[in-house]
Amino acid sequence: MLLKSLDHIFWLGRYLERLDDTARLINATSHLLIDSHKDSQFSWPLLLDVLGQNGAELLSQLPPSDLTVEQQVMGFLITDADSEVSIRSACSALKQNARTVRQLIPRDMWEELNSLDLFLQEHCQQLQGRQHRYRLMTEVSRRCQMVVGVLDGTMLRSDAFDLFNIGRHVERADMTTRIMDVMVLQQLQPTDIKRPRFRWTSILNALGGVESYHYYLAHQNTEVDAVDYLLTYADFPRSLAYCLHRVAASAKALPHSAAILQRVWQLQDLLKTQNLSELTTGQLHQLIDQFQTGIIELHQVISTPKLEFSADLSQQMSA
Amino acid sequence: MGAKSFGHYQQISQCFDELVQADGQIRPPAAAIARFIDRHGSAELIQRQEQLNQTISAMGVCFTLYSDGNNIDRCWPLDVMPRTIPSSEWQKTSAGLKQRLAALNLFIDDLYHDQRILKDGIVPADLVLDSRNYLAPCKGISPRYGVWANICGTDLVRDGSGKFLVLEDNLRVPSGVSYMLENRTVMKRVFPELFADSFIYPVDDYPHQLWRMLASLSPRPGDVPCIVLLTPGVYNSAYFEHSFLAQQMGVELAENTDLLVQDDIVYLKTLHGLQRVDVIYRRVDDIFIDPQAFRPDSVLGIPGLIKAWAKGNVSIANAPGSGVADDKVIYAYVPEIINYYLGEQPLIDNVPTYLCLDPKQREYVLANLDQLVVKPANESGGYGILIGPRSTKEEQQQMAEAIKANPRNFIAQPTLALSTAPTLCDGVLEPRHLDLRPFILQGRDLYCTTGGLSRVALKKGSLVVNSSQGGGSKDTWIINDEV
Repeated sequence: MLLKSLDHIFWLGRYLERLDDTARLINATSHLLIDSHKDSQFSWPLLLDVLGQNGAELLSQLPPSDLTVEQQVMGFLITDADSEVSIRSACSALKQNARTVRQLIPRDMWEELNSLDLFLQEHCQQLQGRQHRYRLMTEVSRRCQMVVGVLDGTMLRSDAFDLFNIGRHVERADMTTRIMDVMVLQQLQPTDIKRPRFRWTSILNALGGVESYHYYLAHQNTEVDAVDYLLTYADFPRSLAYCLHRVAASAKALPHSAAILQRVWQLQDLLKTQNLSELTTGQLHQLIDQFQTGIIELHQVISTPKLEFSADLSQQMSA
Repeated sequence: MGAKSFGHYQQISQCFDELVQADGQIRPPAAAIARFIDRHGSAELIQRQEQLNQTISAMGVCFTLYSDGNNIDRCWPLDVMPRTIPSSEWQKTSAGLKQRLAALNLFIDDLYHDQRILKDGIVPADLVLDSRNYLAPCKGISPRYGVWANICGTDLVRDGSGKFLVLEDNLRVPSGVSYMLENRTVMKRVFPELFADSFIYPVDDYPHQLWRMLASLSPRPGDVPCIVLLTPGVYNSAYFEHSFLAQQMGVELAENTDLLVQDDIVYLKTLHGLQRVDVIYRRVDDIFIDPQAFRPDSVLGIPGLIKAWAKGNVSIANAPGSGVADDKVIYAYVPEIINYYLGEQPLIDNVPTYLCLDPKQREYVLANLDQLVVKPANESGGYGILIGPRSTKEEQQQMAEAIKANPRNFIAQPTLALSTAPTLCDGVLEPRHLDLRPFILQGRDLYCTTGGLSRVALKKGSLVVNSSQGGGSKDTWIINDEV
């Protein structure tokens, strides 16, 4: 595989997962809203904040319109092709990366990616009501899963395959922590009391993890909740622990596996050393911040293997 | 009289129709498609065309157009009606195509070595040596098997009698083969019953044949060759084809920055370090390939590549300099070239050609601009062509000036009554003109595709088949008639 392709195939995995997870984030929060009481403090711009945007500022720059805040936020998250965090922009980036590494991906997956793109171009142009949106987001997730399934069934087990999977799981780790952050920020207490129990079935539902959460609860000796589950339960494929495990497993054959593994271990250590149940919501929010910083560093290590081509050639060749 | 099965299909008089005989009967190879239309009606045909368009868009088969400084991806246009050719005819045609490429390669090799053909006065020496396609730095270099043009796309047309003629030889970086392959894939999905019904020769071994040919060029026989396809990049108009062929052959798709030359060896920058490259299938024009050898301003090149090639450490297909035989003036001499090197008569004739550099022929051309097709010697993509009968007096006047200013640069041919085939236009089958581009490979062995890419002028009466200028395509079915 070309050195240059590393970044493209890694991003291909990230963008595909981002599409899926953005759709899940949207459905999870819509559920949260439906579950909340009328007087809840739920604020839509928060969704933009957890994706690294300044929600309040973005909204203040919009021209006056009849749109509700919810609709405006959904514009940034779904239909606006210029918004960095929209499903449409993730899809164009996905397509662009796929085009660049077309020679590495099987025909069947190429066709799945194309039909995903065509589907989104057709259906993500205009804002829709909540019910339609829910179905649309479910469909986006489903189609992303189809791409992954086709790839899993047809792609050569190669560096490209490994990097694609690393990209997916780095993105998933990132998005899981962001989705959790929505939960945590919603419950942020003014006083530093011990964190409340988190029981958001809606979020777990959107992550496809309700049943396995109940299984988890039934098999733990200690008091645990959704936070422990999403961070530490390595058997659940959207937990941070699982994602880190997958990154480590897929990195083994890469030339810079040592550097990648070191970063993964640092994040795993962070998970182990924290006594999660003792944390306040404020501390929890800080911990999530730490994970996100760690994930950014992990990304950098993955995308910049240190190879010097012009140096000693014979050494390169024997390596 | 309308042809049976094709509604009120009206042939164009004087033109050979690929599917329908002059008496209105369906040609035998087209029997299955005619039966299909009889059975299902033209509404079904229209529906299949829609299905076909959707398939192409889902498969992402596209080509890139430059427009207002932007690159726009367009879905590849494919007509639902196939073009059929009997296999017995194809046998002879493909033998003629191989003969032609073999002779052209002997010619190129001679030009860069002894130049016997120039000394013997068969081809005027100044015609070759003054051509910008004759690359002096290539002199004395011996590519493997003495073959310079490893991949050739030869454009064939039929005259009014239905005889195949060679319109031009594309020996630089011929493109289109990916569309030939994708057209077939699409048609098989849209017309599974027709493929079950008739004996249509497959085309899908081309990527393997291409790989085999490239592998045969490796300077390190015995080892697994490292082959790369060199592309100008993702914004090139033929990028779809580059990535498609790289994927189909399982080789790396490299840009110049992915390659480097050290001690006259070419290396590929891979994830695991440098890997020695044996064969480069270049889709970059030769003069841009190495700034040290040709154009110093080239940003697409790999410094030192030509030296590595000259030393025999890497093979390049097509070899730099092979474009010398891809010149519409040289084209006029190809029958003599075949005779000179092979002692054979050409199996496929040229289109009659007038050379403007010859004073007598030039006089004729200038007097008959309204009748002739005039072409610049070194353009491709259908640009710069004057089609006499469809041109204005003003255009003819401009062309006359251009010819007088630079006669070497122009040839003229009679306006051909290009063959037609029924094509679905606004829901009705109408005759449209078409050509055929088969692809011929030469390395250790010679190979010719089964059929090729049929390009069709979608505008009524138009003779311009280029996709960049509103042309479409058809799947080409070579049908067994030799049971």
